[in-house]
Amino acid sequence: MPESEVQAVRDYAVIYNIRLPRMIPGVLIGAALAVSGLLMQGLFRNPLADPGLVGVSAGAGLGAVGIIVLGTTMLAPLTALLGIYALQIASFIGGLITTFILYRVATRSGQTAIATMLLAGIALGALAGAVTGVLVYVANDAQLRDLTFWGMGSLSGANWTKIMASGPIIVAALAVSAFLGKGLNALTPGEATAGHLGVRVQGFKRVVIVAVAAATGASVAVSGGIGFVGIVVPHLLRLVIGPDHRYLLPASALLGASFLLMTDAVSRLIVAPAELPIGIVTAAVGGPFFLWILLRKQRPW
Amino acid sequence: MIHVDNIVVEISQRRILDGVSFTAHPGQVTAIIGPNGSGKSTLMKALCRDYVFSGTISINGRDVASMDLGTAATMRAVLPQSSTLPFPFTVREVVAPGLTAGRPGLSLSALRRLPDEALARVDLSGFGGRFYGELSGGEQQRVQLARVICRVWEPVLDGVPRFLFLDEPVSSLDIKHQLMIMDVARQFAASGGGVIAILHDLNLAAMYADQIVAIRNGAVAGAGTPAEVLTDSLIAEVFDCPMRVGALPAGNIPFVLPQSAQRFVAAAPQSKVA
Repeated sequence: MPESEVQAVRDYAVIYNIRLPRMIPGVLIGAALAVSGLLMQGLFRNPLADPGLVGVSAGAGLGAVGIIVLGTTMLAPLTALLGIYALQIASFIGGLITTFILYRVATRSGQTAIATMLLAGIALGALAGAVTGVLVYVANDAQLRDLTFWGMGSLSGANWTKIMASGPIIVAALAVSAFLGKGLNALTPGEATAGHLGVRVQGFKRVVIVAVAAATGASVAVSGGIGFVGIVVPHLLRLVIGPDHRYLLPASALLGASFLLMTDAVSRLIVAPAELPIGIVTAAVGGPFFLWILLRKQRPW
Repeated sequence: MIHVDNIVVEISQRRILDGVSFTAHPGQVTAIIGPNGSGKSTLMKALCRDYVFSGTISINGRDVASMDLGTAATMRAVLPQSSTLPFPFTVREVVAPGLTAGRPGLSLSALRRLPDEALARVDLSGFGGRFYGELSGGEQQRVQLARVICRVWEPVLDGVPRFLFLDEPVSSLDIKHQLMIMDVARQFAASGGGVIAILHDLNLAAMYADQIVAIRNGAVAGAGTPAEVLTDSLIAEVFDCPMRVGALPAGNIPFVLPQSAQRFVAAAPQSKVA
């Protein structure tokens, strides 16, 4: 075989087997996390809501860990039934239950108190974390190593099978979200006013919660919990293009995808040839950003 | 026409409204008065179908309880007591009817002019680019009114009158803007629409309302023209507070003068100023 052909085969292998299976989930998950954050902020009428911050990712993670650890024993019939989708569906259900409980606890007559929401999120996150801890405790050594890296958030475990399982769920959730802009705008002054404007508020909230749980669950199943994308991206965009959800939704998807792709590149290169879990990079960017938002909160947003 | 027939609302087994009936006509301003906790806001929420109620409410002959929310949104617009927005919307974005769900049925060019015209009506010309969250409470209230009148810009649409529901529209406004807002309501009614407004200021009710419905303990204590409802005895009974009602010579519009009960108590001996 001539040298050039060897080169071509090698390039193909690198791109198809190594780069693409990381970039595609990076793009999808970045968009999913940013849009989930935006949807939660609109639903809770609060710019600080984020799936990672209020326990939804932890709930989704619990579902996924349950499948990883118990998938060959206690939950074997479930894994057999759901095939490659088992992990995704388990984390979707975990995220759904957490979002639903959070909403019920934090919202009184259509108003969500930020303190209640964050505290309920901490409680739910701790609870999910505790159960996850028990599962980690009973896990074997191989599972443990998987769980540790996955838990910090990383795209390194992504492969074509996972893309085929999570991709369609994320794409479906994003497609549904695209139609939620007007409703989220109507929801901004409160649920009562949204109802007066003709929005079927209860049904609308259910769609939002399911979309958030689907996008977060499918993302967490691939990459583990990646924090702060959902809060940094919509917030930056609000500063630039304003708070109209009709524009924020597609813009958040695009910037979220670019942001995660970039942080993934950073996480691969910064300590090369080793790599840093991407969750550490987003947290290192997002943590200070979150504090900055809190400090300038005297402004109306 | 809005027809309210024998409305009962119970919240956690407490009866808040106990058989309220009245009719609000297009072309008229109907003022709802009554003390705190009498059920005025609950009545407003029942009208908007925010609360489950028994009895019937109809708008233009259509049953509110079974009406599609989108249809309801085209027939009436609701001004809440106050609205906070968690995100940095500009005033024009808040007012623009395109921002929220639904369309008020206007041509595109008219739609584009609408926010600024509505802002002019509430004396906020030039505020379109300001951030809603940076305005004072009274200014926010006027922005909300501009938003609401945008929803029902034509008081009569395809021959069907539309309604404005105003829950304490002037509670945080100075006197000039109180009158201005009530003038907007009055003008809406004069063009064929209907207005139902909860008012605390009895003199504003006397000046602007065609009909006053007085609510006390969840029931109608009196309904009729201002001259019929605003009498010494009825007002004193509804508000449990002594009042004197006079009449302005022009048009025989009543005015209400609260009488401090303290004034008639013998003055206590004053302590010496050190």
